[in-house]
Amino acid sequence: MTEKNESKYVKYLLITISVIFLFFFLVLPLFVVVTEAFKKGVDQYLQAVTDEYTVKAALLTIEATFFAVFINTIFGVFAAWSITKFRFKGKKILTTLIDLPVTVSPIIAGLIYVLTFGRQSILYPLLEKYDIKVVFAVPGIVLATIFVTFPFVSRELIPVLESQGTDEEEAAALMGANGRTIFWKVTFPHIKWAFLYGVVLCATRAMGEFGAVSVLSGHLRGKTNTLPLHVEILFNEFQYMPAFAVSSVLVVMAIILLIIRSVIEYKGKKEEE
Amino acid sequence: MSEEVKSYVELKNINKYYGDYHASRNVSFGIEKGKLVALLGPSGSGKTTILRMIAGLENPDDGEIIIDGQVVNDIHASKRGIGFVFQNYALFRYMTVYENIAFGLRVQKWDNAKIDARVKELVSLIGLDGLDKRYPSQLSGGQRQRVAFARALAPNPHLLLLDEPFAAIDAKVRQELRSWLKSMIEKLGITSIFVTHDQDEAVEVADEIIITNQGRVEQKGTPVEIYRDPQTSFTAQFFGQTFFVENYHDFKSFDTVEGTTNAILRPEFLKLTKKNEEKKYTVTIAEGIVQSVDFRGSNFEITVKYKDNIFIAKRTLDEPPVEVGEEVDIFVYRLLVLDGDKVHLLKNRALNEESVVI
Ligand SMILES: Nc1ncnc2c1ncn2[C@@H]1O[C@H](COP(=O)(O)OP(=O)(O)O)[C@@H](O)[C@H]1O
Ligand SMILES: [Mg+2]
Repeated sequence: MTEKNESKYVKYLLITISVIFLFFFLVLPLFVVVTEAFKKGVDQYLQAVTDEYTVKAALLTIEATFFAVFINTIFGVFAAWSITKFRFKGKKILTTLIDLPVTVSPIIAGLIYVLTFGRQSILYPLLEKYDIKVVFAVPGIVLATIFVTFPFVSRELIPVLESQGTDEEEAAALMGANGRTIFWKVTFPHIKWAFLYGVVLCATRAMGEFGAVSVLSGHLRGKTNTLPLHVEILFNEFQYMPAFAVSSVLVVMAIILLIIRSVIEYKGKKEEE
Repeated sequence: MSEEVKSYVELKNINKYYGDYHASRNVSFGIEKGKLVALLGPSGSGKTTILRMIAGLENPDDGEIIIDGQVVNDIHASKRGIGFVFQNYALFRYMTVYENIAFGLRVQKWDNAKIDARVKELVSLIGLDGLDKRYPSQLSGGQRQRVAFARALAPNPHLLLLDEPFAAIDAKVRQELRSWLKSMIEKLGITSIFVTHDQDEAVEVADEIIITNQGRVEQKGTPVEIYRDPQTSFTAQFFGQTFFVENYHDFKSFDTVEGTTNAILRPEFLKLTKKNEEKKYTVTIAEGIVQSVDFRGSNFEITVKYKDNIFIAKRTLDEPPVEVGEEVDIFVYRLLVLDGDKVHLLKNRALNEESVVI
C-alpha cells in the first residue's frame, strides 16, 4: 500500500517539476516575447514586421533554409542509402564524418569557412579572379547553414534503412528492376515519414541558425542579415519592441514547423500499425 | 552421379571468400532438369552462399556456374531466369499481395491485361483468392510464404531457388506447407533447389540431397542413397539419428577395418530383445542394461548401455515391454565404421552365415 502511494508521490513530484521547469524556461519567455512585441499596439507591431530590412532578412533566411534543406536532403538520402545498402571500406569513417557538424561548435564552423574562403586563404586569389564572394556575402551564409544542418536528414534515414535490411531491394533487383524503380517503389515507402521528419528538423534548425552565420555574415543590413542576426542588431540598438516583434515571427515559423513535425510523427506511427 | 545425364544446373569448382573467410570450398555438383533438390547442412555451412551465387546475388571468386548449358558467371541476376524465395520472404511491405506478384511482370513491361490474368491465376494457385488486396502484414506466415512463392513464379522462371522456405513457419503449419510446396513444384515441373538445415524436411521434400559442411559439398544423392551409403564421416553422423561407438570391436562377428575403432550406430541397426524372447542369432548377442524407456507415440525409444557405449533402440508397442534396469540382449545388424574422413558400412557376419544355411 505505502509503496504504491510512494510511487504516486514520485509521479506527481516529477510531473510538477517538469511543468514548473517548462513554465519558467519556455512558456514565460515566449509570453514575454509576444507581450513585448505588441506593447505599443498592433500598428507598431505590423510596422516593425513589415520594415524593409526585416522583410529582406526574412527572405534571406528563407533562401538559406531552402538551399540547406535541398542540398542536405539530396546528400542525406545518398549518404544514408550508400551507408546502409552497400558494403565498403571506410564506412565507419563516413558515418562519423557525417555527424561531425553537430559536434563542432557553430562558431568554429563559421571560422572554418572564413579561413577556407577568406583573404588568408590560398583559394582567395582564385575566388577573386572569378569575382566570387563567399565570406561576408550570401554564399557564405548558405554554406554555413548547410554545414550546421548537414546530418539532419541522413541521421533520420539511417536507422530506418538499417532495420529494413536489403532483402526487398535484392528481390526487386533480381526481378530486373532498375535503381530508380527500386528506390521509388521499394525503398522510399519505407523511409517516407522519417524522410519528411528529417526535412522538417533540418528546416527548423536552418531557420534559427545564428553562430556560424554570424561569423560569415558581416552583418550588412539588407544584404547579409538573416532574421536571427537582424534580431540581434535591433536588440543591440535598444530597439526592444521591434526586436521582439521580429522574434515573434521566428517563433511563429518554428511553431508551424513543430505542428507539421507532430503531424508527420503521428501519421508515421499510425501507418506502422 | 552418372556422367551421361546432362545437368541443367552445374557448379564447377566454385570458391567464394568473404574477406579471409573461405565460405565455399571447391563446390561442384550438377542438378538434372525437373529435379527438386535440397541443400542440407548445419547453419553456417555455406548453403545460402551457394544459392545466392547461383542466383547471381553473389559472385564466386573462382569456378563456373552453368545454367542450361550456358556459363552465367557474367550474366546479371535478373537475366538468369531464376525465381528466388528469400529466407524471410522479403515481400514488399508497402505493396498488396496483388502488387507483390505483379511486380516482376511490371518490370518486364507485360501489358496490363496479361499481368492481371497471370496474377489472378497465381493467386488462385496459392489458394489466396479474395486476399489479393491485403498487405503482407495482414497475412499469416504460411500465407506469406505462398505469396513469396507466387511472386517468384510469376515471370515463369526456369529455375526456382528457395532459402529455408519453412524456417519462419510454426511447426503445425510447416508439415502441411511442405507437402503443399512439394506437390506444387511437381505439378509445375520446375527445377528447384531449396536450402534447409532440417534433415527431416530434406528427406520428406527432396528428390535429391546435397550435404554441405564447412563450405564443402560432402555428398550428393537421393535420401535413401545418403542414408544407406554415407560416404563421409560427417554425412554418417549428420544424417539420421546416430550414436557414437568408441570401440566397435566390442561387438561380435564384425570384420575389422585396418586401423579403426570408432563407429556409428543407428536405432534401425539394432535389435533389442528381452532375455526370454526368441532370437535368431544367439551367438553374437551383446548384453546391455536399459537406462530409460521413452514413449514416442508410435514406438518406445529405449536407451541402453553396453560397456561404455550408450545408444538408443526402438521397440514397437506390440512387443513385451522392457523396464529400466533390465538386462536385455542386443543384436547389431550393421555398423558404420569411421575411417578418418571415410566411412565403411560393415554387416554382421552372422547375417551372411545364416542366409547360407537357409
Ligand atoms: N556477406 C557476408 N559477409 C561475410 N561473411 C558472410 C557473409 N555471408 C555469409 N557469411 C559467412 O559465411 C558462412 C556461410 O554462410 P551461409 O552461406 O549464410 O551459411 P548457411 O546458409 O549454410 O547458414 C557463415 O560463417 C557466414 O558468417
Ligand atoms: Mg542460410
